[in-house]
This record gives sequence, C-alpha cells and structure tokens, in this order.
Amino acid sequence: MSVAEIDTTQEEVAPKRRAWWRRLLADRAAALALAALVLIVGAALLAPLIAPYDPFRSSRLVMAPPVWDERGTWAHVLGTDGQGRDMLTRILYGTRITLLIGVVAVVVGGLLGSLLGLVAAFYRRLDPFVMRLVDVMLSFPAILLGLALVAVIGPGIWPVIIALAIATIPDCARIGRSIAVSVMEQEYIEAGRAVGLSNAALFRRYLVRNCISSIMIFISLRFGQVILIGAALSFLGLGARPPTAELGMMAAQGRDFLLFAPHIAVIPSVVIFVIVLAANVAGDALRDVLDPRLRT
Amino acid sequence: MIETVANRLLLSIPVLFGVLILGFALVTLAPGDPARVMAGPAAPPEVVAQIRDRMGLDDPVVVQFLRYLGRVAEGDLGRSLISNRTVTAELGAAIVPTVELMVACLVWSIPLGIAMGTLAAVWRGSIVDRIIMTISVAGVSLPIFFICLVLIQVVGVQWRLLPFIGRGGPLWTVEGLRHIALPALSLGLIFIGPVARMTRSSVLEVLRLDHVRTARAKGLSERRVILRHGLRNALIPVVTLIGLQAGYLLGGAVVTETIFSYPGIGRLAVGAILSSDFPLAQGAILVLALAFILINLIVDVLYALLDPRVQRR
Repeated sequence: MSVAEIDTTQEEVAPKRRAWWRRLLADRAAALALAALVLIVGAALLAPLIAPYDPFRSSRLVMAPPVWDERGTWAHVLGTDGQGRDMLTRILYGTRITLLIGVVAVVVGGLLGSLLGLVAAFYRRLDPFVMRLVDVMLSFPAILLGLALVAVIGPGIWPVIIALAIATIPDCARIGRSIAVSVMEQEYIEAGRAVGLSNAALFRRYLVRNCISSIMIFISLRFGQVILIGAALSFLGLGARPPTAELGMMAAQGRDFLLFAPHIAVIPSVVIFVIVLAANVAGDALRDVLDPRLRT
Repeated sequence: MIETVANRLLLSIPVLFGVLILGFALVTLAPGDPARVMAGPAAPPEVVAQIRDRMGLDDPVVVQFLRYLGRVAEGDLGRSLISNRTVTAELGAAIVPTVELMVACLVWSIPLGIAMGTLAAVWRGSIVDRIIMTISVAGVSLPIFFICLVLIQVVGVQWRLLPFIGRGGPLWTVEGLRHIALPALSLGLIFIGPVARMTRSSVLEVLRLDHVRTARAKGLSERRVILRHGLRNALIPVVTLIGLQAGYLLGGAVVTETIFSYPGIGRLAVGAILSSDFPLAQGAILVLALAFILINLIVDVLYALLDPRVQRR
C-alpha cells in the first residue's frame, strides 16, 4: 500500500466531515440558534466575572425600569426587581441555575435511559422486563413526578432535577432500544461475535459507538422541553427557593408587579423562551443534517 | 378489537400498581409527621402519639400498604389535614373544572393545529409553510406561564375584556365560558405547535403514498385528494400524539390552573404540596396519574379503531 493511496482516502473523508458542519451552518436559523446558545451558555458560565452586582444585594432603587424605558438608568441596564436587586445580575445567575437543571437532568436521564435501551436490545432475554418497566415509567409524566418528589422531599432544585432526569429515562430507553435493535442486525456484530469478542467488548466497541450519535441528537431534542418543565415547577414555587436566582422563579416573583414593573416578569420569561427556542431550532437542524431517520 | 382493548387494560395493571405504590410512598416517606401536622405545632406529645396510633403509623410498612390499598378500593383517601374535608370530596369538586378546561382547550387547538399542519404540508416550502412552522416552533418554546401572564395583562387588565380569576360556573353558562376563555386559550396555544408539526409531517408522508397517486390519477380534485385520502390517513399519528403529549398538557394545566386560580385538580395538587397537606396531595397526584393512564388507554383504542392494521398485530 502506498502513501498516495492513504492520502486519497483521507481527502475523501475530510470533505464529508466538513460537509455536515457546513450544511448545519448554511441553515441560517440553525447558525443563529447555535450562536445564541453559545452566547447564553458563555454568559451563564462567566456570571461571577461579568455580573455587575451581587445577586443577593438589595439597593434602595426598587423596581427601576430597564434602560430602554425613559426612566431607566445605565447603572441597571435591565432595571431592578421588587427588592431592588439588579436584574441583569440575577438573570445571569438565574440562567446558570436554569441551565444546570436542564443539563444535569437531560444528561443523567438520557445516559441511564439509553443504557437501559441498549441493554434491552443486547440481552434479548431482559428485553420484556426492561420494556415493561419503561412502560410503567412512561405513565408518569414529568410534571407529576416533579409534584410527587417535591411533596416528599420538599421544594428545591434537586427534587426537580431528579424528577426531570427520571422522566427523561423512558423516552431515551425506547429510542435507544429501537436504534440498538437495528444496529444489532448489522453484519459487523455477527462478525465480532465470530471473532470471539466478549459480550462486554461487543457492547462497548460496536453497539455503543454505533448508537451514540443518534442518541445524542434525541437527547438534545429533549433539552428544551426539560428546561420548560423545570422553569414551570420553579414558577409554581416547587423548585428553586428564594433568594436563589432561577428564571422561572424570577418570573413568578414578577407576577405581583406586572402592572407597574412588567420587566421583572417579562425579561426572565423571554430569556427562557430564547434558550428553549434556540435549543429546539439547533436540535432540529442537527437531526436533519446528521440523522433524518429520527424525524417524527 | 375487543382483544386489543383487553390487552391494553391488562397492561395498565402494573402501571396502576406503580401509581399506588408511589401514592403510598408519598405519605409514608414524607418528612415530618402527619400526626404532628394534624395535631398542630402546640399539641402535647401524648396527643400526637394518640393520633399516630389511630392512623396506624407505627405498624410495619407492608401492613400499612395493604391497609392503604383496601382504603383506596373503598374510595377512602383520608381527610385533608387543612380543611378536614374528605379528600374524595375535595377531588370530586375539582375534577369537573379540570375536564372542562381540557375540553375547552382541545376543542379549538386540535382543529386549528390540524388545519395549520395540513396547509403547511400542502404548500410545502412556501412562505405559508415557513410562517406556520415558525409559529409552531415558537409556540413549543414559550413558557406556559408567560402566555398566561401576557393574556392576563393584555386581555384581562388592559382591555378588561374577560375575567381572569376563578371559574364562573359550568361550561354551558355564559359566565362559565367567559371565565374559561383565557385559561383555555393559554393552554391551547402550547398545544397547537406539536399538533401542527405532527400533522404536517404525517400529511407529507401520506401524500407520497400510492393510493394518493391513484386518487390523483383518476382525476379527483386536489382538495378532495387531500381531504379524503390524505388527511384521513394522516390523522392516525396525530391521535397518538395526543396521547404522547397528554403529560405535557397535564403539566400545562397545572400551571394554568394555578395562575388563573382555577379550581381544578392541578391547582389543588400544587396548593396541597405547598401546604404539606399530604393526603390531599397524594389524592390529587393519584387522580392525575389515573387521568393520564385513561387518556392513553382511550388513545390506544382510538388508534386501533382508526388503523385496522393494529388489530392484526
């Protein structure tokens, strides 16, 4: 085999890899959504560095309007809330908590769920049990799990995260199983068996690697929904506790000032909307580019 | 057909059991002593012990669970720790408003969603398609509480057009309709998106099938092709979607009821949890879970009725 031959294969692979990125970024909506996500996640991560104030410190300037209002000041770009705390600072910290809830729930639930699905597809004897378990879990919608867990543990971020993670498991198990079943029918699995690979090696090297991208896409599609439910639970007073800043809870606090200071409820709601919209648009585009099979 | 329904019913048994275990765990695992809550913070220990004894809280967990099952079978869910009314009475009063809200929401959002999805599919790639799909993605991404707050603020407070607190009466009365309008509008708005998306992709898929081509070939008008041959088959996945999204809708209803102070099961559940009223919280969660199981059961049966292929499986 000559060097030239290897070079040509690499050249063939390289454009393909660039192609899916390009196709993704060529979709203007998707590019915009990705940019928004990067910006929001970056701002949330850097909150302690870039936030202009202390998120818990009140000032005498209560319910100051944002800067685009004629009474607004540049000292508080997004105004202040009902207790005189800087809105921009609290939005930055609140986005952190909201994203944390969504990311932890989706990653933990998604991993556990897809692992369950892969195991069910790999060890066919376990399949009926796993799937029955999944059926039972599917009958508990996220919001009910959230309500039940909060009733037992009490309000807080963690019961919400746990509930959302558990609610993510069954869907991911189902999709993981259906993807894995089609992979299991491929010839390389049989080939791997024939060469005498152990089950563990077969599972790890062949099954997981061939399923992972489809599963990741599916999980990313769930992210927006999970964020929305988490924010709704916090809005109801079942999630984050004051004085923690969390977007859903901030919107709830703004409810009482809707008449004279609508920005206190509107700004956090809009931030949630932008996060979820960006996640949905980016997830959809990613699926269309990488794995159109998953389209429903 | 009967077999499908029977099968489905059989499948709900483990689910039902899971719901009951969860409901039971809710009361037994909850921190804080229910007897203490009932007796009040100032009660002497003897009174608390007496209540514990009366409620059988010191028995083994299995005994408590069996006793709990027996009570549930008799329809006895205990008494609210706060109002001291029976949980069944509290729930009974809240079920009808919630069902009304669901009906009032679905009755406009499903037809509109289907219409939007069909138009988007028929004019695929056109500006109409783009607008409809943008609206539906935006709709799926909006926090329900934001929709509620905006509607209250604009329609309720600024325009003074519709009331936004509580329930005005049964659905068939004018006041009832006026009061349910805003909650039903809010809840429906989050449901249009998924319905439109599902209808669009399902109509697109059906329009590619042979029988649609045949219908076109024999010279039927495009309108007839789409309505009679396209949409009719495309509606099957939409029916399943309603089952899949029932949890989503339930979550929306919990938030909507709470914001509009609408006296349904969702608001009851949230109120009970926030005030540590465990028997009531447990009853409300039980009813919500049962409703969810029931909706899925109905959807599965509908699915079997609409799609003859299911019965053969």
